[in-house]
Amino acid sequence: MSSPISPHSRRPEGLSRRAVVAGGVAAVGLAALPPRAQAEDLQPLAELIARITEGAVPKRGKITLDIPQLVENGNSVDVKITVESPMTEADHVRWIHLIADKNPFPDMARFHLGPRCGRAEVATTLRLAASQKVTAVAALSTGGYVVADGDVVVTLSACIDGG
Amino acid sequence: MRWRAVLALTVIALAAAPATAEIKSGSEFLSPEMRRQQADETRNPAWFWVEQGEELFSRKPQTGAACISCHAEPKQSLRGAATHYPQVDAASGKLLNLEGRIEQCRIERQKQPGFGYETPEMLAMTAYVASLSRGLPVEVKTDGAAKPYYEAGKAFFERRQGQLNLSCQQCHDGMVGQKLRGDTISYGAGTGYPAYRLEWNDVGSLHRRLRACSLGVRATQFDYGSPEYLALELFLAGRAKGLPVETPGIRR
Amino acid sequence: MPFNARITMPAEARAGDIIEIRVLTRHPMDRGGQSDGKGGTVPRMILNRLTATYSGEQVFRLDMNTGISANPFVSFTTRAVASGDIVFEWREDGGATYTRTARLVVT
Repeated sequence: MSSPISPHSRRPEGLSRRAVVAGGVAAVGLAALPPRAQAEDLQPLAELIARITEGAVPKRGKITLDIPQLVENGNSVDVKITVESPMTEADHVRWIHLIADKNPFPDMARFHLGPRCGRAEVATTLRLAASQKVTAVAALSTGGYVVADGDVVVTLSACIDGG
Repeated sequence: MRWRAVLALTVIALAAAPATAEIKSGSEFLSPEMRRQQADETRNPAWFWVEQGEELFSRKPQTGAACISCHAEPKQSLRGAATHYPQVDAASGKLLNLEGRIEQCRIERQKQPGFGYETPEMLAMTAYVASLSRGLPVEVKTDGAAKPYYEAGKAFFERRQGQLNLSCQQCHDGMVGQKLRGDTISYGAGTGYPAYRLEWNDVGSLHRRLRACSLGVRATQFDYGSPEYLALELFLAGRAKGLPVETPGIRR
Repeated sequence: MPFNARITMPAEARAGDIIEIRVLTRHPMDRGGQSDGKGGTVPRMILNRLTATYSGEQVFRLDMNTGISANPFVSFTTRAVASGDIVFEWREDGGATYTRTARLVVT
């Protein structure tokens, strides 16, 4: 399946197969190796950002991420991103990338913009698997990146279909 | 003797109080953003179902006539129709909700196989017809032939049930406005259904919502369109008399 | 009816004006991975791309992953340059595409 965003957007699997086999051999006769600690070992946000900025550290400011601090359901969360930019041929926002580091697939979306947009102002509805930090990274045509983030608490609803 | 009578009257008055209390729509318990989105056709996905229903309404089935050939100018002719449901069907004496009436028309007049409860077509048709009454107050009949059904619904609402041994009333009268996990407990007015629920990522009927309620208290889940839920639907509509129809609503 | 879209934008604008385009889409955006009850998993089935082409050029593109909600809403802006159609195209997993157009009259 082709991923439009990044082939690296999957979380690392945690233990390699070799480590599991080795551990399993070492643990013969003992309780099974708890895989939990490794499974929850998420890729750090800094790495997720560095991957899309080719290592550059994005600057704060000039970008606003508008997202509620508390949402009643993670299935549809409004988000709006605005970047201060003249949006001219020489100086515009090339793209805006959204990351949710605790989602199974942290790369959520990428908006590709250009001078024809007039403004760098986009919005969409996100799916958040858990309470977490949502990060927006924008790439500028002049080189460099800007970043903004927001912490979102996702509450659980009661009396869901599955009980 | 006299003070006893006074006390008894007071007790009766207190017991009756919740039933006469002002009921608020479920949308009053949503965040302001969600309430805005419900009213905004550019944001409320449930309008896709309304649109689909409008299309089905004018489409001629293989046998019989299209809905619109009898119900011409539905925006006028069916305006307010949904506010009278559930209602007792004069011919059969049975309680029908809007879904039941649509299905009856389809089977008996159009001679078509029924859509079936909770199918996308039935949800679309119900959402469309109900949307024609948007803003009009609920006006169901709870007396006369409807009385036994209403009473059955009331008894269902007040009866403790399920492994949690809760009645509908204990939460939806007694604890309205309080929190249940991330939810705010509402009156269960049901005036937005069929509604788009974020939890479902989809439009669903009131009976789908009621089935989730039943499961929530670990009680028997009745079938879609079952007599139990129909009676309860009538009771809820009776409580919601005067509240505007909001279909297609948005709910959590 | 798995796909439908509602595009909201002004019908008219003056040349140079920046207009806002709001797009609501009907699509389950199935993230996949759930059990199919037969020992396997449900495949992912989402709209993975939305493009908007206007006056001979792609003016907007959104690449979507499973982090975009079911029945998603998207808004963006474009500068009115000439009267013509704005063509919206969605690409679904598996290769299917859906198209809608909206006309903008520029005065």
